[in-house]
Amino acid sequence: MPKKRSSGIGSIEVDMTPMIDIVFQLIAFFMVINNFEQTQADERVKLPRDALAKPPEVKIEHEITLNIGFLRDMQGERTNADPFLFNFGGEDMMPPLSASKALEQEARLYNNREINPADVTVKIRADAEVPTGVVQELIKLAQDAKFEKFAMSAMSSDGT
Amino acid sequence: MARNRKPQEKLETNMSAMIDVVFQLLIFFMLTLKLIEPEGDFNINMPAQGKSNPNDSEPPPLDTKVKLQANADGTLSGVFLGSRPLGNDADAFKRLNIEILRLIGSPDNPLAEDMAVEIDADYNLHFRHVISAVGACTGRVDPRTQRVVKYIKNIKFKPPQKPGAAS
Repeated sequence: MPKKRSSGIGSIEVDMTPMIDIVFQLIAFFMVINNFEQTQADERVKLPRDALAKPPEVKIEHEITLNIGFLRDMQGERTNADPFLFNFGGEDMMPPLSASKALEQEARLYNNREINPADVTVKIRADAEVPTGVVQELIKLAQDAKFEKFAMSAMSSDGT
Repeated sequence: MARNRKPQEKLETNMSAMIDVVFQLLIFFMLTLKLIEPEGDFNINMPAQGKSNPNDSEPPPLDTKVKLQANADGTLSGVFLGSRPLGNDADAFKRLNIEILRLIGSPDNPLAEDMAVEIDADYNLHFRHVISAVGACTGRVDPRTQRVVKYIKNIKFKPPQKPGAAS
Protein backbone atom coordinates (compact mmCIF):
# COMPACT_ATOMS: atom_id res chain seq x y z
CA MET A 1 0.00 0.00 0.00
CA PRO A 2 1.65 3.19 -1.12
CA LYS A 3 0.19 5.42 1.58
CA LYS A 4 1.67 3.51 4.45
CA ARG A 5 5.03 3.23 2.84
CA SER A 6 5.20 6.93 2.21
CA SER A 7 4.55 7.79 5.81
CA GLY A 8 7.62 5.74 6.68
CA ILE A 9 8.97 5.84 10.21
CA GLY A 10 7.06 8.96 11.21
CA SER A 11 4.60 8.10 13.94
CA ILE A 12 0.90 8.67 13.56
CA GLU A 13 -0.18 11.32 15.98
CA VAL A 14 -3.38 10.90 17.90
CA ASP A 15 -4.72 13.62 20.11
CA MET A 16 -4.78 12.00 23.53
CA THR A 17 -6.24 14.94 25.41
CA PRO A 18 -9.95 13.96 25.34
CA MET A 19 -9.16 10.38 26.28
CA ILE A 20 -7.04 11.46 29.22
CA ASP A 21 -9.80 13.83 30.29
CA ILE A 22 -12.34 11.03 30.31
CA VAL A 23 -10.01 8.59 32.03
CA PHE A 24 -9.25 11.09 34.78
CA GLN A 25 -12.96 11.72 35.19
CA LEU A 26 -13.51 7.98 35.56
CA ILE A 27 -10.71 7.67 38.12
CA ALA A 28 -12.09 10.56 40.11
CA PHE A 29 -15.56 9.00 39.99
CA PHE A 30 -14.41 5.60 41.20
CA MET A 31 -12.27 7.15 43.91
CA VAL A 32 -15.17 9.16 45.24
CA ILE A 33 -17.72 6.37 45.34
CA ASN A 34 -15.26 3.86 46.70
CA ASN A 35 -15.59 3.09 50.35
CA PHE A 36 -12.19 2.45 51.84
CA GLU A 37 -13.49 2.35 55.35
CA GLN A 38 -12.52 -0.79 57.16
CA THR A 39 -15.72 -2.33 58.34
CA GLN A 40 -16.16 -5.62 60.06
CA ALA A 41 -19.35 -6.24 58.18
CA ASP A 42 -19.68 -9.76 56.86
CA GLU A 43 -21.28 -10.25 53.48
CA ARG A 44 -22.86 -13.52 54.47
CA VAL A 45 -25.33 -11.72 56.72
CA LYS A 46 -28.55 -10.65 55.03
CA LEU A 47 -29.74 -7.86 57.28
CA PRO A 48 -33.39 -7.09 57.87
CA ARG A 49 -34.72 -3.85 56.42
CA ASP A 50 -36.33 -0.96 58.15
CA ALA A 51 -37.10 2.55 57.04
CA LEU A 52 -36.06 3.94 60.40
CA ALA A 53 -32.56 2.54 60.42
CA LYS A 54 -30.61 5.64 59.51
CA PRO A 55 -26.82 5.64 59.35
CA PRO A 56 -25.41 7.19 62.52
CA GLU A 57 -24.56 10.88 62.26
CA VAL A 58 -21.65 10.64 64.66
CA LYS A 59 -19.16 7.88 64.19
CA ILE A 60 -19.12 5.42 67.05
CA GLU A 61 -15.74 5.56 68.73
CA HIS A 62 -15.34 2.03 70.02
CA GLU A 63 -17.34 -0.79 68.63
CA ILE A 64 -17.35 -4.53 68.27
CA THR A 65 -19.31 -6.08 65.46
CA LEU A 66 -21.03 -9.40 65.85
CA ASN A 67 -22.12 -10.91 62.54
CA ILE A 68 -24.71 -13.62 62.99
CA GLY A 69 -25.94 -15.40 59.92
CA PHE A 70 -26.28 -18.54 57.90
CA LEU A 71 -24.28 -20.13 55.16
CA ARG A 72 -26.25 -19.76 51.96
CA ASP A 73 -26.05 -21.28 48.52
CA MET A 74 -26.08 -19.40 45.22
CA GLN A 75 -29.87 -19.03 45.34
CA GLY A 76 -29.68 -17.52 48.79
CA GLU A 77 -31.18 -20.58 50.47
CA ARG A 78 -29.85 -21.54 53.88
CA THR A 79 -27.61 -24.58 53.83
CA ASN A 80 -27.47 -25.05 57.58
CA ALA A 81 -30.19 -24.94 60.17
CA ASP A 82 -28.30 -23.21 62.96
CA PRO A 83 -26.83 -19.73 62.74
CA PHE A 84 -23.12 -19.00 63.04
CA LEU A 85 -21.18 -16.12 64.45
CA PHE A 86 -18.91 -15.04 61.63
CA ASN A 87 -15.47 -13.55 61.79
CA PHE A 88 -15.10 -13.09 65.51
CA GLY A 89 -12.45 -13.93 68.05
CA GLY A 90 -10.00 -14.97 65.36
CA GLU A 91 -12.30 -17.63 63.98
CA ASP A 92 -14.20 -17.54 60.75
CA MET A 93 -17.25 -19.31 62.10
CA MET A 94 -18.41 -20.42 65.51
CA PRO A 95 -21.72 -21.22 67.18
CA PRO A 96 -23.01 -17.92 68.65
CA LEU A 97 -23.40 -19.33 72.13
CA SER A 98 -19.76 -20.31 72.43
CA ALA A 99 -18.61 -16.72 72.03
CA SER A 100 -18.33 -15.92 75.72
CA LYS A 101 -14.57 -16.49 75.85
CA ALA A 102 -13.93 -14.29 72.83
CA LEU A 103 -16.20 -11.59 74.29
CA GLU A 104 -14.40 -11.68 77.60
CA GLN A 105 -11.12 -11.40 75.76
CA GLU A 106 -12.40 -8.34 73.90
CA ALA A 107 -13.48 -6.83 77.20
CA ARG A 108 -10.03 -7.51 78.64
CA LEU A 109 -8.39 -5.88 75.64
CA TYR A 110 -10.48 -2.77 76.17
CA ASN A 111 -9.65 -2.80 79.86
CA ASN A 112 -5.96 -2.97 79.01
CA ARG A 113 -6.39 0.09 76.83
CA GLU A 114 -8.14 1.74 79.79
CA ILE A 115 -11.46 1.87 78.02
CA ASN A 116 -14.47 0.83 80.00
CA PRO A 117 -16.32 -1.97 78.17
CA ALA A 118 -19.54 -0.20 79.15
CA ASP A 119 -18.56 2.58 76.74
CA VAL A 120 -18.05 0.17 73.88
CA THR A 121 -20.94 -0.37 71.51
CA VAL A 122 -21.62 -3.94 70.53
CA LYS A 123 -23.06 -3.78 67.07
CA ILE A 124 -25.26 -6.73 66.28
CA ARG A 125 -25.56 -7.53 62.63
CA ALA A 126 -28.00 -10.39 62.68
CA ASP A 127 -29.47 -12.05 59.63
CA ALA A 128 -33.20 -11.47 59.11
CA GLU A 129 -33.89 -15.16 59.72
CA VAL A 130 -31.84 -15.68 62.87
CA PRO A 131 -34.02 -16.78 65.80
CA THR A 132 -34.47 -13.86 68.16
CA GLY A 133 -33.62 -16.01 71.14
CA VAL A 134 -30.11 -16.63 69.78
CA VAL A 135 -29.54 -12.87 69.42
CA GLN A 136 -30.80 -12.31 72.94
CA GLU A 137 -28.59 -15.01 74.38
CA LEU A 138 -25.63 -13.49 72.61
CA ILE A 139 -26.54 -10.12 74.11
CA LYS A 140 -26.65 -11.84 77.48
CA LEU A 141 -23.13 -13.24 76.95
CA ALA A 142 -21.93 -9.74 76.05
CA GLN A 143 -23.59 -8.35 79.16
CA ASP A 144 -21.77 -10.97 81.22
CA ALA A 145 -18.54 -9.64 79.70
CA LYS A 146 -19.57 -6.15 80.98
CA PHE A 147 -20.74 -4.66 77.70
CA GLU A 148 -23.78 -2.46 78.05
CA LYS A 149 -24.36 -0.58 74.85
CA PHE A 150 -25.86 -2.41 71.93
CA ALA A 151 -26.88 -1.45 68.45
CA MET A 152 -28.93 -3.56 66.10
CA SER A 153 -28.18 -3.09 62.45
CA ALA A 154 -30.66 -3.00 59.61
CA MET A 155 -30.59 -1.92 55.99
CA SER A 156 -31.73 1.65 55.64
CA SER A 157 -34.05 1.28 52.72
CA ASP A 158 -37.53 0.01 53.23
CA GLY A 159 -37.96 -3.18 51.27
CA THR A 160 -41.67 -3.60 51.92
CA MET B 1 16.06 33.13 21.50
CA ALA B 2 15.78 29.72 19.99
CA ARG B 3 12.24 29.20 21.11
CA ASN B 4 10.94 32.30 19.42
CA ARG B 5 12.48 31.37 16.14
CA LYS B 6 10.29 28.26 15.71
CA PRO B 7 6.93 29.22 17.13
CA GLN B 8 4.89 26.57 15.30
CA GLU B 9 6.82 23.59 16.57
CA LYS B 10 4.76 21.46 18.94
CA LEU B 11 6.22 20.43 22.24
CA GLU B 12 5.82 16.66 22.36
CA THR B 13 5.69 14.68 25.51
CA ASN B 14 5.58 10.95 25.64
CA MET B 15 2.18 10.22 27.03
CA SER B 16 2.27 6.45 26.89
CA ALA B 17 3.83 6.00 30.33
CA MET B 18 1.29 8.23 31.95
CA ILE B 19 -1.59 6.54 30.18
CA ASP B 20 -0.29 3.18 31.32
CA VAL B 21 -0.30 4.29 34.93
CA VAL B 22 -3.64 6.01 34.63
CA PHE B 23 -5.25 2.90 33.19
CA GLN B 24 -3.73 0.82 35.97
CA LEU B 25 -5.24 3.17 38.50
CA LEU B 26 -8.58 3.08 36.76
CA ILE B 27 -8.64 -0.70 36.75
CA PHE B 28 -7.58 -0.79 40.41
CA PHE B 29 -10.41 1.50 41.48
CA MET B 30 -12.90 -0.38 39.36
CA LEU B 31 -11.93 -3.71 40.89
CA THR B 32 -11.86 -2.52 44.47
CA LEU B 33 -15.28 -0.99 44.11
CA LYS B 34 -17.59 -2.48 46.66
CA LEU B 35 -21.09 -1.17 46.58
CA ILE B 36 -22.56 -1.45 50.03
CA GLU B 37 -26.04 -0.46 50.94
CA PRO B 38 -26.26 2.05 53.74
CA GLU B 39 -26.85 0.46 57.11
CA GLY B 40 -28.41 1.95 60.16
CA ASP B 41 -28.48 1.06 63.80
CA PHE B 42 -31.03 1.00 66.57
CA ASN B 43 -29.24 1.88 69.78
CA ILE B 44 -30.32 0.01 72.84
CA ASN B 45 -28.89 0.42 76.31
CA MET B 46 -28.95 -2.80 78.22
CA PRO B 47 -26.98 -2.91 81.43
CA ALA B 48 -26.64 -6.36 82.93
CA GLN B 49 -29.58 -7.34 85.05
CA GLY B 50 -29.33 -7.17 88.79
CA LYS B 51 -27.30 -4.01 88.57
CA SER B 52 -28.87 -1.29 90.66
CA ASN B 53 -30.39 1.55 88.78
CA PRO B 54 -28.60 4.84 89.59
CA ASN B 55 -31.92 6.72 89.56
CA ASP B 56 -33.64 4.49 92.06
CA SER B 57 -35.48 7.41 93.57
CA GLU B 58 -37.29 8.08 90.33
CA PRO B 59 -40.47 6.21 89.61
CA PRO B 60 -39.95 3.35 87.18
CA PRO B 61 -40.85 4.19 83.61
CA LEU B 62 -44.20 3.15 82.28
CA ASP B 63 -43.71 -0.07 80.44
CA THR B 64 -45.69 -0.94 77.40
CA LYS B 65 -45.49 -4.58 76.52
CA VAL B 66 -45.28 -5.73 72.94
CA LYS B 67 -45.59 -9.45 72.47
CA LEU B 68 -44.42 -11.07 69.26
CA GLN B 69 -45.59 -14.62 68.79
CA ALA B 70 -44.00 -17.00 66.34
CA ASN B 71 -45.10 -20.06 64.44
CA ALA B 72 -42.97 -23.18 64.66
CA ASP B 73 -41.00 -22.13 61.55
CA GLY B 74 -40.13 -18.73 62.97
CA THR B 75 -42.64 -16.70 60.98
CA LEU B 76 -44.84 -14.20 62.75
CA SER B 77 -48.10 -15.51 64.15
CA GLY B 78 -49.23 -12.48 66.06
CA VAL B 79 -48.38 -9.05 67.40
CA PHE B 80 -49.92 -8.00 70.69
CA LEU B 81 -49.82 -4.64 72.40
CA GLY B 82 -50.50 -5.48 76.01
CA SER B 83 -53.16 -8.10 75.49
CA ARG B 84 -54.66 -6.54 72.39
CA PRO B 85 -54.02 -8.45 69.16
CA LEU B 86 -52.85 -6.37 66.20
CA GLY B 87 -52.77 -9.12 63.59
CA ASN B 88 -49.91 -10.98 61.99
CA ASP B 89 -49.70 -9.48 58.50
CA ALA B 90 -47.39 -6.81 57.15
CA ASP B 91 -49.71 -4.09 58.44
CA ALA B 92 -49.51 -5.32 62.03
CA PHE B 93 -46.42 -3.18 62.62
CA LYS B 94 -48.12 -0.17 61.02
CA ARG B 95 -50.97 -0.69 63.45
CA LEU B 96 -48.46 -0.99 66.28
CA ASN B 97 -46.89 2.27 65.12
CA ILE B 98 -50.30 4.02 65.22
CA GLU B 99 -51.08 2.58 68.65
CA ILE B 100 -47.74 3.76 70.02
CA LEU B 101 -48.45 7.25 68.67
CA ARG B 102 -51.82 7.13 70.42
CA LEU B 103 -50.07 6.14 73.65
CA ILE B 104 -47.59 8.98 73.63
CA GLY B 105 -50.16 11.52 72.44
CA SER B 106 -48.03 13.48 70.03
CA PRO B 107 -44.71 12.86 68.32
CA ASP B 108 -41.59 14.11 70.11
CA ASN B 109 -43.62 14.35 73.30
CA PRO B 110 -41.20 14.93 76.22
CA LEU B 111 -43.31 12.57 78.33
CA ALA B 112 -42.29 9.77 76.00
CA GLU B 113 -38.80 9.99 77.51
CA ASP B 114 -40.18 8.31 80.62
CA MET B 115 -41.89 5.59 78.70
CA ALA B 116 -40.42 2.29 77.72
CA VAL B 117 -41.45 -0.55 75.50
CA GLU B 118 -40.67 -4.06 76.50
CA ILE B 119 -40.50 -6.45 73.60
CA ASP B 120 -41.29 -10.03 74.40
CA ALA B 121 -40.46 -12.15 71.39
CA ASP B 122 -40.71 -15.90 71.05
CA TYR B 123 -37.37 -17.69 70.98
CA ASN B 124 -37.54 -18.89 67.40
CA LEU B 125 -39.07 -15.74 65.88
CA HIS B 126 -37.16 -14.43 62.89
CA PHE B 127 -35.08 -11.42 63.82
CA ARG B 128 -36.57 -9.25 61.06
CA HIS B 129 -39.85 -9.00 62.96
CA VAL B 130 -38.04 -7.79 66.05
CA ILE B 131 -36.38 -5.06 63.99
CA SER B 132 -39.79 -4.13 62.56
CA ALA B 133 -41.23 -3.95 66.07
CA VAL B 134 -38.31 -1.85 67.32
CA GLY B 135 -38.74 0.40 64.28
CA ALA B 136 -42.49 0.73 64.84
CA CYS B 137 -41.96 1.71 68.49
CA THR B 138 -39.08 4.11 67.87
CA GLY B 139 -40.90 6.30 65.40
CA ARG B 140 -41.75 6.72 61.79
CA VAL B 141 -40.51 8.49 58.71
CA ASP B 142 -42.60 11.50 57.84
CA PRO B 143 -43.74 10.86 54.25
CA ARG B 144 -43.55 14.55 53.32
CA THR B 145 -40.29 15.66 54.86
CA GLN B 146 -38.59 12.23 54.91
CA ARG B 147 -37.43 13.01 58.42
CA VAL B 148 -37.66 10.65 61.35
CA VAL B 149 -40.34 11.46 63.89
CA LYS B 150 -39.34 9.92 67.22
CA TYR B 151 -41.83 8.11 69.44
CA ILE B 152 -40.37 5.98 72.24
CA LYS B 153 -36.61 5.64 72.46
CA ASN B 154 -36.37 3.38 75.44
CA ILE B 155 -36.64 -0.20 74.20
CA LYS B 156 -36.17 -3.20 76.42
CA PHE B 157 -36.21 -6.89 75.82
CA LYS B 158 -37.72 -9.57 77.92
CA PRO B 159 -35.12 -12.24 78.73
CA PRO B 160 -35.31 -15.10 76.27
CA GLN B 161 -37.10 -18.27 77.15
CA LYS B 162 -35.94 -21.44 75.51
CA PRO B 163 -38.78 -23.40 73.97
CA GLY B 164 -39.65 -26.22 76.26
CA ALA B 165 -38.32 -24.47 79.35
CA ALA B 166 -41.58 -22.61 79.72
CA SER B 167 -44.36 -22.05 77.30
